[in-house]
Amino acid sequence: MRKILSYTSTYKKAVWIAVFLMGIELVVELVQPLFMAKIIDEGIMKGDMSVVGLWGGILLGLSFIAFAAGISSSFYAAQASQGVGHDIRRDIFQKVQQFTRKNFGSFSTPGLITRITNDVIQIQNLLFMMMRIALRAPLFILFGMVMAFFIHPGLATILVISVPSLLLFLFWILKKGVKLFRRVQNKLDRVNTVIRENLAGIRLIKGFNRGVYEENRFEDVNGSLMNDNKKALWITELAMPIVMLGMNIVILIILWIGATKLNMKSAQAGELVAIINYATRMMFTFSVFTFLIMNFSRGNASAGRIRKVLDEETEGLDELGGSECPSLKGGISFENVSFEFSPSDGPALKDLSFTAHVGETIGILGETGSGKTSLLQLIPRLLDITTGRVLLDGVDIHKLNVEHIRKQISLVPQEAHLFSGTIKGNIGWGKDHATMEDIIQAAKKAQIHDFIMSLPGSYDAQIGQKGVTFSGGQKQRLSLARALVRDPKILLLDDSTSALDAHTEMKLLQTLKEMQCTVLIVAQKISSIQEADQILLLNQGKIIGNGDHETLLKTNVYYQSVYQSQLQEEVI
Amino acid sequence: MASSKNERERRLSQQSHRRHQGIGTKPPKVTNMKSTLFRIWSYMSGEKRLFKLVISVVVVSSILSLLGPLLLGFAVDNVISEPETTTLLQMVIVLLIVYVLYSITTWMQNYWMIGIAQNTVYRLRNHLFSHLQRLPLLFFQKRQHGELMSRLTNDIENVSKTLNSAVIQFTTSVLTITGTIAAMIWLSSLLTLLTLTIVPVMYIGMKWITKRTGRYFKEQQRNLGEMNGYVEEMFSGQQIITMYSQEKRVINEFAEKNEALRTSGYWAQTYSGFIPKLMNMLNNASFAIIVGAGGMLALNGMISLGVIVTFTTYSRQFTRPLNDLANQYNMILSAVAGAERVFQIIDEAEEEADENGAAGIKNINGDIRFQDVDFSYDDDQSTLKGLNFHVKSGETVALVGPTGAGKTTIISLLSRFYETDHGTVFIDGTDIKTITRESLRSQMGVVLQDSILFQTTIRENIRYGRLDATDFDVERAARSANAHDFIRKLPKGYDTVLDSDGKGISYGQRQLLSIARAMLADPALLILDEATSSIDTVTEMKIADGLETLMKGRTSFVIAHRLNTIRNADLILVLKSGEIIEKGTHKELVKQDGFYADLVHTQQSENKVSM
Repeated sequence: MRKILSYTSTYKKAVWIAVFLMGIELVVELVQPLFMAKIIDEGIMKGDMSVVGLWGGILLGLSFIAFAAGISSSFYAAQASQGVGHDIRRDIFQKVQQFTRKNFGSFSTPGLITRITNDVIQIQNLLFMMMRIALRAPLFILFGMVMAFFIHPGLATILVISVPSLLLFLFWILKKGVKLFRRVQNKLDRVNTVIRENLAGIRLIKGFNRGVYEENRFEDVNGSLMNDNKKALWITELAMPIVMLGMNIVILIILWIGATKLNMKSAQAGELVAIINYATRMMFTFSVFTFLIMNFSRGNASAGRIRKVLDEETEGLDELGGSECPSLKGGISFENVSFEFSPSDGPALKDLSFTAHVGETIGILGETGSGKTSLLQLIPRLLDITTGRVLLDGVDIHKLNVEHIRKQISLVPQEAHLFSGTIKGNIGWGKDHATMEDIIQAAKKAQIHDFIMSLPGSYDAQIGQKGVTFSGGQKQRLSLARALVRDPKILLLDDSTSALDAHTEMKLLQTLKEMQCTVLIVAQKISSIQEADQILLLNQGKIIGNGDHETLLKTNVYYQSVYQSQLQEEVI
Repeated sequence: MASSKNERERRLSQQSHRRHQGIGTKPPKVTNMKSTLFRIWSYMSGEKRLFKLVISVVVVSSILSLLGPLLLGFAVDNVISEPETTTLLQMVIVLLIVYVLYSITTWMQNYWMIGIAQNTVYRLRNHLFSHLQRLPLLFFQKRQHGELMSRLTNDIENVSKTLNSAVIQFTTSVLTITGTIAAMIWLSSLLTLLTLTIVPVMYIGMKWITKRTGRYFKEQQRNLGEMNGYVEEMFSGQQIITMYSQEKRVINEFAEKNEALRTSGYWAQTYSGFIPKLMNMLNNASFAIIVGAGGMLALNGMISLGVIVTFTTYSRQFTRPLNDLANQYNMILSAVAGAERVFQIIDEAEEEADENGAAGIKNINGDIRFQDVDFSYDDDQSTLKGLNFHVKSGETVALVGPTGAGKTTIISLLSRFYETDHGTVFIDGTDIKTITRESLRSQMGVVLQDSILFQTTIRENIRYGRLDATDFDVERAARSANAHDFIRKLPKGYDTVLDSDGKGISYGQRQLLSIARAMLADPALLILDEATSSIDTVTEMKIADGLETLMKGRTSFVIAHRLNTIRNADLILVLKSGEIIEKGTHKELVKQDGFYADLVHTQQSENKVSM
């Protein structure tokens, strides 16, 4: 929460003005009972009509001043809270731009979106509320007691003793309630999980005849939700009746003692009425407290979630260091490279060594989870090696400027991700100031030019919800074109030709061969990498075979068995 | 993905709505209020009498809440005019009783109502869920999961929250407003009239504000939606952005959207911030009016000082519910609308009941025959036409054909998820319509394309195949499915709790667990619906053995795209738009030189280019 509050420093002026304006409202509210006492004691009791009229008018005037202050405070409070919301969103977004796959391991995309939208809104509302009512309720109680003292110290003592203890009691119960409601939330999540699982697996459940079993499972979690919900609600509903009763009894005590004092002429009627009025108003602020505590605990949870993102350790471009900016030729070598996402996970890649000469094609084969993707991501430093060295043209990548290096490397991920916009814009994305000529050339190389020309609007056709929808193969080729437009010296293909038919894939590989660039291809099909200069076999993060197709076929048992199984692997 | 997005948007819109509801906002759409309320009522079952009691307690507590300020006023008068302690003592005691009773009744009404509400919602949830288990499969295929999910969770939660509090609050508000006004008029009609002058001001003021907040909240919603979409796109493509060093550009684009949201958010929040200030001002003004005008009336002896005290409390007591009333009413309406959506599901027809005299079966051999089977989803377009084939016990049938050819439909007919329009399906020579669905399905095991696993331990996930299986049985099944080795290597072995999104174990491993589960069920009939389609070829190699063990000795229906799974089948059925166009073994069909042979040839010739 503190981190979030520090965001208000930018809007210090607005915050102070809002708080000051709130102070005006507070003062008005505080003096009202005082003036009422005046009307009663000096007006009604003494039969002076002019006093009643004068102070009545002042009261009315004050209420308009308070209104004006309140309305203006709304502008400043909104300015501050919306500003803070804006800044937090900006910072979350910028932070996420520095995320690597490592970070995405601890946050899901929907989770991040919830934080940048819902949680920020929660914080905004909390801040807005704090500037306008959160401070006012405790301040009213504090100054209300001071004022009561000012009017009649004896009667005020009763308030000073009783109100804080009632407040403490209220806090105590609500704290329990907040804890219980957190449990309710967990139970509710559990209920929702069972429902979601049930909907997703309905075919399986029906197939296995597990309807009754599922019903029992649901009844369990549902019953447990009901019980916890009752407990939480019962205890919080207990708070207000008890506190109200306490406060009402306090008022009665004031009335009783006041009456005796009135008899002894040591108190005036107006004073008594004023103190009772203060007490009544304090009673009304209690419900504000309930509201505040519930909102505060919710806001606190949001603040915690946001802080987790902002505190996430990332390496921005600046921290990645390296100053050398050479033009790459395309030589890559790995020397005893190991990589782990975190020490507890164990290494994802173990002791890899291989060399790719300029212009060579390297194939990488392995099953899901063998570390193929991580290997590729080490080269543009989307992930950073744990031990060992990666050299580009013989230079340690840690000495090279990351941004400069990335401009000369293209990585095409397995899942083609296109952005909404035109085809032209998507392909041109890869290169600053790409010309139409560049784009068309890249599309031709990626074997997608003819298809684009067949679309209405050709290169200006819109991609996305209202535009053209593409097949997996078309998306992959567009994403390839985006990679090729920058004429990379190193091209990393992460199973990014899997949806292409054999014929197109062949033509594409042929084109790549003619380009002056080193290519690393991760593939599932041996046919995609058969022609490679070198094939790396990866199993559980280790290289278990290295050589060209012929050599591996002769010497490597694993390769042989994959080849055998794929020989019969035809798709209908 | 779609579901979470829908839920999120819903939440967002609910959040912003809740805050600017009031006079002038449109209520949610309810088609049949009366019957829906009646149905909710029917879920209260044994607690209907308690509910009636709650309502009468609400009446009592509302009266007590009116009595408090009234008696306090009397007491003040008493203190001032005749400082006689005995009458004052009486008054104080009466007041004390009123306050104690008030606190007790408010607590009681809430305590009971929470119990009733939670029990009712519990019943409603259970009923809905068990009804879902009885709905035909077709129901789930016709609907989006996200939308169903939202009814099952958000809509019911809405009903729950409303029953908990809104019912009592609404009743209290109505009673308090009418009661307060009546009491005020009884005390002093002139002062009441003066106090009520704030009501039209309040109405006009609220109208003025909500007209503006409505507009800006809508705009804020739109900006938020746009930003949401943008963020979703950019976060999921973040790797591309980093790779192509486009961070700055994206950050600038985001800044624009962020700024737009700040502007609309600023105005929405500013205007909505006027509401409590307006209410405050009206409270203060009415206070001034009461004290000022009341003071003059008191001077003239028309009212007593106590009346002023009573009025200051009363005026607060009725402006607050007047403002809340619209909110509470809207809350009730939206809950009723939610309940309506829930009842729509409950009104869906259940799977047809088993025919009279249907018998259970046990230990079937697995001899399957389809005889002249026709089936259509809608009356006009038939999905399957004149299906005839025979599978002997223990054989493997492969279903081949383009998407929509009716492959999955055949399996659904066999499982009696759907009923044939014409023709008969026989198992071991018995018409499946004379067999209870439950016993029929208990003879079957399924492995689907997406391995469905539950958020519990691996052991329990496998046990799902046969609930009374011992741990030993579970491990034996895992062993024969080739899953045992990888499970043992996990830090917690069989007690590893699976994530709902399957983190921790690979796709292939998930599928191995599905196979182990089917293995444990030990069915005579096995259905593999694209069981290996989403697995990479290297992983598939590893699963192949497990699948082979599973299929041994069972009649298996296989839907697959990969030739090596198909080629060993005892019978291949080639389907096209609902008809079997070819039937036979791989060899026979290749020789026949028809559609199947064509498929095989085109694939092979294309592969030759690369191989």
